[in-house]
Amino acid sequence: MSRQPASKREHFEREALVHLDTLYNVALRLTGNASDAEDLVQDTVTKAYRSWDKYEPGTNCRAWLVTILRNTFINQFRRESRRPSKVEFEAVQEINVFEAIKDRDPEGTFFRFIVDEEVKRAIQDLPEEFRLPVVLSDVEGLSYAEIAEILDLPVGTVKSRLFRGRRRLQQRLYDYALEMGYIRS
Amino acid sequence: MTGLWQSLVGKMMPSPGGIDCAEVMAQLYEYIDGELDDEKIERIRGHLEKCQRCYPRYNFEAAFLRFLKQQGRTKAPPELQRKIFKAILEEESRG
Ligand SMILES: [Zn+2]
Repeated sequence: MSRQPASKREHFEREALVHLDTLYNVALRLTGNASDAEDLVQDTVTKAYRSWDKYEPGTNCRAWLVTILRNTFINQFRRESRRPSKVEFEAVQEINVFEAIKDRDPEGTFFRFIVDEEVKRAIQDLPEEFRLPVVLSDVEGLSYAEIAEILDLPVGTVKSRLFRGRRRLQQRLYDYALEMGYIRS
Repeated sequence: MTGLWQSLVGKMMPSPGGIDCAEVMAQLYEYIDGELDDEKIERIRGHLEKCQRCYPRYNFEAAFLRFLKQQGRTKAPPELQRKIFKAILEEESRG
């Protein structure tokens, strides 16, 4: 008795739709709101299904999907994505949070007091150049090579944006923790 | 004279793991992210075990990244999942 070969839809559901949470999270960071994020994910999934023959089985499906999502975003939300954040990111002075805090809280226990919503806001407020590498790496756990592929950037550029994004985020959360009194000043 | 003295000290007290602090700091995130080859990982691990300057920094950065991983993620709303499965079924019937 031979089994019915899986249909294109079944195959797609099994391989691609398991990454729905990833797509939704990335979309949320890109668009900044739930309703646009849902539209973006829907458009992405439909496009991905239509070009499913172009996906090579065994390659990285998640990276393939996020690439489609990003391209869809750039095409549809072009104006927002061209925010001039370059100028802004030169201006911010980056401090080393560990150096600032090592005598008071070297283990970084203050992070645990920071609520989920504040972290999401802090990520959302990163300039886009930094936000995507941070989301893809630190929230979704993608490798530098996968991120480089998705963003169409050299690995070295991904690294430097990721590291700077992390420093920014750390600094923002540190400032928040100081303000909230989670760290004695 | 100073240079000679430093190189002598350097030979007597080699950097832990055969790698110096600056190099470890420069590659700290890559180390935590699992982006280095086995040999590099071993050297950095060896250094961190012995170095009282680098270890606390490593510990702090690792705590920060663990924290981000736990906090940052949202689940796709069930309503969106339903819409998507429905859209794909429609695509399928369209052929
Ligand atoms: Zn060291």
